[in-house]
Amino acid sequence: MARFLIRRLVLLVAVLFAVTFLGFSAMNFLGDPLFNVVGLMAELDCEAIEAGSAEDPSLDRARSDCETVAEARATYHLDRPVPVRYLLWVGDMVTGDFGTSFQNDQPVAEIIREKLPETLILLVMAQIVSLGVAIPWGVVAAYRANRAFDRGSTVASFGLLSVPNFALGVVLLYLLSLRWQIFPSAYESDSVVGLVFSMVLPALTLGLPLAASYQRLLRTDLITTLQEDFVHMARAKGLPPMRIMFRHALRPSLFSVVTVFGVSTGAMIGGSLVVEQIFGIPGIGREIVTAVVRDDFPVVLAIVMLVACTFVIINFMVDLFYSWLDPRVRAR
Amino acid sequence: MAPDQTTAAPVPLLSVRDLHVRFPTERGTVNAVNGVSFDLYEGKTLAIVGESGSGKSVTAKTLMNLLPRSALVSGEVTYAGQDVRALAATGTKHFFGVQMTMVFQDPMTSLNPVKRVGEQIAETLRYHLGRSRGEALEEAENLLEAVGMPEPARRVSQYPHELSGGLRQRVVIAMALACQPRLLIADEPTTAVDVTVQKHLLDLLDELRRDRGMAMILITHDLGVAHGRADDVAVMYAGRIVETADARTLFVDMRHPYTEALLRSIPRIDDPVHHRLDPIPGRPPELISPPDACAFAPRCLYAQADCLDGVPELSGLVGLHRFACLHPTGTERGEAAATANRAAGVTVAGLPVTGDPGGAG
Repeated sequence: MARFLIRRLVLLVAVLFAVTFLGFSAMNFLGDPLFNVVGLMAELDCEAIEAGSAEDPSLDRARSDCETVAEARATYHLDRPVPVRYLLWVGDMVTGDFGTSFQNDQPVAEIIREKLPETLILLVMAQIVSLGVAIPWGVVAAYRANRAFDRGSTVASFGLLSVPNFALGVVLLYLLSLRWQIFPSAYESDSVVGLVFSMVLPALTLGLPLAASYQRLLRTDLITTLQEDFVHMARAKGLPPMRIMFRHALRPSLFSVVTVFGVSTGAMIGGSLVVEQIFGIPGIGREIVTAVVRDDFPVVLAIVMLVACTFVIINFMVDLFYSWLDPRVRAR
Repeated sequence: MAPDQTTAAPVPLLSVRDLHVRFPTERGTVNAVNGVSFDLYEGKTLAIVGESGSGKSVTAKTLMNLLPRSALVSGEVTYAGQDVRALAATGTKHFFGVQMTMVFQDPMTSLNPVKRVGEQIAETLRYHLGRSRGEALEEAENLLEAVGMPEPARRVSQYPHELSGGLRQRVVIAMALACQPRLLIADEPTTAVDVTVQKHLLDLLDELRRDRGMAMILITHDLGVAHGRADDVAVMYAGRIVETADARTLFVDMRHPYTEALLRSIPRIDDPVHHRLDPIPGRPPELISPPDACAFAPRCLYAQADCLDGVPELSGLVGLHRFACLHPTGTERGEAAATANRAAGVTVAGLPVTGDPGGAG
């Protein structure tokens, strides 16, 4: 177990390095970071200005601009080569300094602290929706495999899988909010209950397509498991069908779902970009869109790192979950 | 149809009449079981013997209501006066697993890999007999002890993968016996375990059966397994019982050439070293649209023209020595058929006959 944990930790660190280095390089080579900080001042030819006549009053302004540029260079270490800058950035990160946004000089840590809870609530609710829908759905479909309900759910799940997030979101908004007025159409943060309630539609938008894919996986695995001898044995023991389903067949059939659950976390964060836009949720998803557009790379990098961390940690938990699902994994 | 002279109850515990099982498949309908009838009395053992594809396992699964939904079943199965198929259809609780239960062929796969052994045994006790978790686990430990499991206290909290095949089969047996069933169906219970363990397990089953006065259906492809453990033997071929009798009669005075061939195919300890094994020629019969003839005829050394003309009926009454053969071995007709085939060098079905087909084993 200890070895397992250590291996995971090493993996986490390696993934973080790879992801942040790639992100860092991309941000640096695709745009000029200096331009993002000081704007057009970055175009000034400061060496020429410095070399110019000291008496020329028209150069005073330019000189002060050049000082600003030099200051920015120093603050963001822009006078150093990219690998060195990366290492300096890593050093800051390790000491808990996430840097400040180019946009408004707000500390990145503060931005994340502000926006993360919304996104977390959304993601957790969406996964609850997806599993809460997929498990009963998959069980019933597998129990009556190839019957009317199962065939119907095949169609329904392919439908859900092929509709893009934004389209599903709009349909749900129209039906459940505008037409039947069950859920609010936009983000509310007055109270916790109101917040959770306003997150239901976004969570459905994000969770239902996942539920459809989980349902397909669970159904297939369950059908296979139900043909196992130990299920026959359970039937010969006289246990009722649903008890066999939940106590014997479900657990060994969860592997694919759990695996995809882990992997889909990444995709889900991607999906939350769109969903947060549609429902006006001030979360990480919206923040990263803005930050990317404005080349606000301390913010982008911090979010990228956060996502990578989450991804690795969730998949680590998935691995731990395997050994709960099947004791034979523990023996290995 | 008075069966035995002494103790047998007048009403059989299990009575099967004209059981048919068909499976619709893309290639056609598989006629897996074609009119099987037998009686089993309280405390007795019936061995059902046959090759793979003979319908013996399907028969067992039909009794336990374990067939896939697509199976077409007809016929009567009566357990202590109750219609078993009706019980199954209405989902009657506490019948399967309590009155009648089953042990499967492969202990490696018939235990749930993700549940502790003790829990799997206790589960039945909790569901059927309403035991508390603690009581049930305690009883599970006692059951494990009863089936000769070493260190039962430790085993209850182990997982199946931590046990050997032989030990797992003991767990399966303990699980089956938990609710003191009156009828145990053992479907090739020792086929998948080491030869050295086979005899232990069979003797154990026999002992437990006797102690508990339980009836047993022992399904096997090995007549040797049935020998000494079964009161009655039914030999199945192509979904039909081709010969059935009490064990003694069947082993010393069999009538069906298939029974004879099965017995001859068992290697014997007193055979000379490097003695050629005596396999049954040919392959098991086709079950999709079988010809209207004796299914064994293509492999039978006694086959005559009349064997290819209609399926021979099982003679006699249920409970007596019955066989479905027109030229039974050990009779004059059989002898004449064998002699004629030997002279011709080939049977009517085209099977070459060389050497000695053997009159009586």
